[in-house]
Amino acid sequence: MDSQDEEIEVRAPGFAVDLVRVSKEYILNGKPVKALASITLNVKEGEVAAIVGPSGAGKTTVLNLIAGLEKPSEGDVRVLGSDLAVSNEHSLSAFRSANIGFIFQSYNLVSTLTAEENVELMMELAGWSDSGRNEKLTAELISMVGLTDRAQHLPAQLSGGEQQRVAIARAMANDPALILADEPTGNLDLKTGLEIVKLLLRLKGEKGKTLVVTTHDDRIVEMADVIYRLENGSLESVDRPTRVRS
Amino acid sequence: MEAWRALIGPLGFAAKSLRRRGFHSYLAFIGLTLTVATTTFLLLLGQDLATRLGIDSSMRSTFGISWLIFAYLVLALGLVSIIGLLSSSYLVSSMIDQRMRDIGVIKAAGAIPRRLLSYVTFEAFAVIFSSCLVGALSALLVYASWSSPSVSLFKQVGLVPNAGASVLIVVPLTSFLLCYVVASVRVRRIVGSSSVNAISKQLSNLDLKSLGKPFRIKRFGSAFNLATRNVSRDRGFNRTLLSVGICIFLSMVVLSGALVSADTSTSYVVRAMPPHVMIVANINIYNQYVTLGTSFSRTAPVPSINYVNESYLITPQNASAFRAIPGVETVDTRLITMSSITGFVKAHFASNQDTGENINTQIIPEVDTGSAQALIVGIDPSNAIGDWYTSDGFLHSNDAQYTMIAGDSLVGNIVQMPLNLSQVSALGYRYDVKSALVDPLNAGQVLYAPVETLQKSLGLTGFNVLLLKVNDDQTVLFAVSQLASSFGLVLGSQDPILNSNLTFLNDTWSHIFLVPIVTLALTCGILLSYLATNFSRRFNDYVILKVLGANAWYRLRLLMWEAWGALAISILIAIPLAWGISIFLLVPDPNLSVGDLELSTLVSLSALSVVSLASATIYSRRLGLTTVKDLKP
Repeated sequence: MDSQDEEIEVRAPGFAVDLVRVSKEYILNGKPVKALASITLNVKEGEVAAIVGPSGAGKTTVLNLIAGLEKPSEGDVRVLGSDLAVSNEHSLSAFRSANIGFIFQSYNLVSTLTAEENVELMMELAGWSDSGRNEKLTAELISMVGLTDRAQHLPAQLSGGEQQRVAIARAMANDPALILADEPTGNLDLKTGLEIVKLLLRLKGEKGKTLVVTTHDDRIVEMADVIYRLENGSLESVDRPTRVRS
Repeated sequence: MEAWRALIGPLGFAAKSLRRRGFHSYLAFIGLTLTVATTTFLLLLGQDLATRLGIDSSMRSTFGISWLIFAYLVLALGLVSIIGLLSSSYLVSSMIDQRMRDIGVIKAAGAIPRRLLSYVTFEAFAVIFSSCLVGALSALLVYASWSSPSVSLFKQVGLVPNAGASVLIVVPLTSFLLCYVVASVRVRRIVGSSSVNAISKQLSNLDLKSLGKPFRIKRFGSAFNLATRNVSRDRGFNRTLLSVGICIFLSMVVLSGALVSADTSTSYVVRAMPPHVMIVANINIYNQYVTLGTSFSRTAPVPSINYVNESYLITPQNASAFRAIPGVETVDTRLITMSSITGFVKAHFASNQDTGENINTQIIPEVDTGSAQALIVGIDPSNAIGDWYTSDGFLHSNDAQYTMIAGDSLVGNIVQMPLNLSQVSALGYRYDVKSALVDPLNAGQVLYAPVETLQKSLGLTGFNVLLLKVNDDQTVLFAVSQLASSFGLVLGSQDPILNSNLTFLNDTWSHIFLVPIVTLALTCGILLSYLATNFSRRFNDYVILKVLGANAWYRLRLLMWEAWGALAISILIAIPLAWGISIFLLVPDPNLSVGDLELSTLVSLSALSVVSLASATIYSRRLGLTTVKDLKP
């Protein structure tokens, strides 16, 4: 069976993401390196959280912890009401494929699959076995990101912006409650980056998804409901900008 | 600071690059070392076996059987060399291809192509040289332990000076030169191509024709369907498939060839000396016949006796008395004698066409091909017990009076090809050679002639050996025994002679079977290296799947389908083809037991499947240790 059992119970959350005094230490060349030092971070449902800071500040580590790709050295990581710090590998895989969408800076599409197959793959990983429904949904998502005429192309045949749009469609494919984006415009030019920002805005506005984005892009920071500023693995500041919403 | 950090120039580049590539460097080194070591060991083993068996069987066996054994060894070692060289060059090629992106990046950063070429080539040189050196030394160590006095064949033959010395030098050196040339050409091509192409090599590895509606079987699940798309679209994987397929095919020819050759050689002996045949003769002739029959498998000299001593002869009337016993199916009346024979190639015309239309016809005078002692067997063709493997058929009742069939050990010296030009002088008469046969009797130094002709030549009317085919009824055997006693003859079974010969053959083949077994191990090693190389190349895609939420079981199934699926296609084509070639092309009049066929197919299928599944499991576990940080941009 392809269906991946959902062993982590998703409870009604107060926060979609709730990191409490989380630290993370790596061993590099035999020496311990502190990547995060007791940070606390919460993101409400439907919010967009931007994590900013210089390279090496620990932004990607935060995303990895939220996704359950890494475990904290100390502290609690609750995502969509589930305690990921105590879950096993199998449960975490099932949790990710069912609840989380990923957008990476370097796209990370499966090289041997076409754009639409990359999107559909996410549905298969989530255990959606109705191929007719999957195909229909894939076509809708590909159309949403404006790549209908490129659906049959391999990642290597697509530009960076197009690959990132496929990655966004893929991130939506399993209808996740939470989307994690790691510097999604980091590899793109201004114009292409703007298209991606617009797509992310749609995810927030139309789909009501919770987004956690690490970025250096001011346009993304501007659309965030909460901005976490990291510096050398420590939380420097938390901003909740008030703005007039149209 | 570690010593390798202080190195500069090509040596420093190679040391740093290999160290940083870690697992992939070890993989290339281990794959290549394993291939060189196994190929060298196999050739050492083959040469050693050929030498020892040659010495061991020089006083035994027959020319036909020896030819079968040594032809097989030559074929097997030739194929092993091809497998080893093909695999080495493929592994080196893969190793360089994995560096393509790095080479492109370094070149794009402004490295002088000539210097880049020398640096990368030196890196490849370091891997190839160390692999060949370690491979040769490992092969020598394994070979030395195999050649220990505890091994029976070594004990029988003793020390063979210089055996394998040339192999130990030639195989690693050839592997090194070939690998180095392949590496140089690949590096030169990559350095010479555009940096952009080298950096964005991803597309060049994909088969764009296979895009479109993918092949899917819903029942097998998403992992299977993803694996079929990966395998069908990945040119690198397809190249691997072809390379693995060729290696499996060649190793299966080695394995199936051994079985077919062993079973065929056994069948040649059994056909010449069928089981459940009784021998009736005077006690002295009986003992002599047993010695002659087992001279195929024993080195004991055949004593001289007067075969046609009157007291040894059985009259036609007495022979008929045996025929008259109910339950006696056939009585093969033979008159055997040892005699000096001389071979000739008859005078004949030889035509050869020169460059124009002229045809030059020459008379080639008769040639004496030498003399030897041979056993001459007079036989009644219509009652012969035995179904020898012959080149042009056995004697017939309507053959000319002075016609002979030559034993295989006479062919090539006393009896020359073509047989229709060959004659043998024996007992004062010239005989035409009709055909050659494989016969263990007197180790193949035997001639079969019509019994009446031999009787006439010797001025006798009787026989000195009767071979009886009787039914299994004990009362028939008793009656035969009684009759033999009443004529002063002894009765014995031919089975002990046959069994002694078959034991010798089985013992010989049991040594040779090391070659196909190690070849199968070599192919398993090659398969492991190939799969590991391919998994390494596609590792990023697997890490993406893990990050996206593919669980360990999904990832394992994906890797297994990719590994085993590729293998299954190779096996489906390679194994039947190899069997077909071994059965129809390798040996004349082949014989193969269905049990051997099933067992060998099962063993090779299992070994290869275990390797492919093991490599999938190893990579799946390795994948389990990766994090999102292992994703490459």
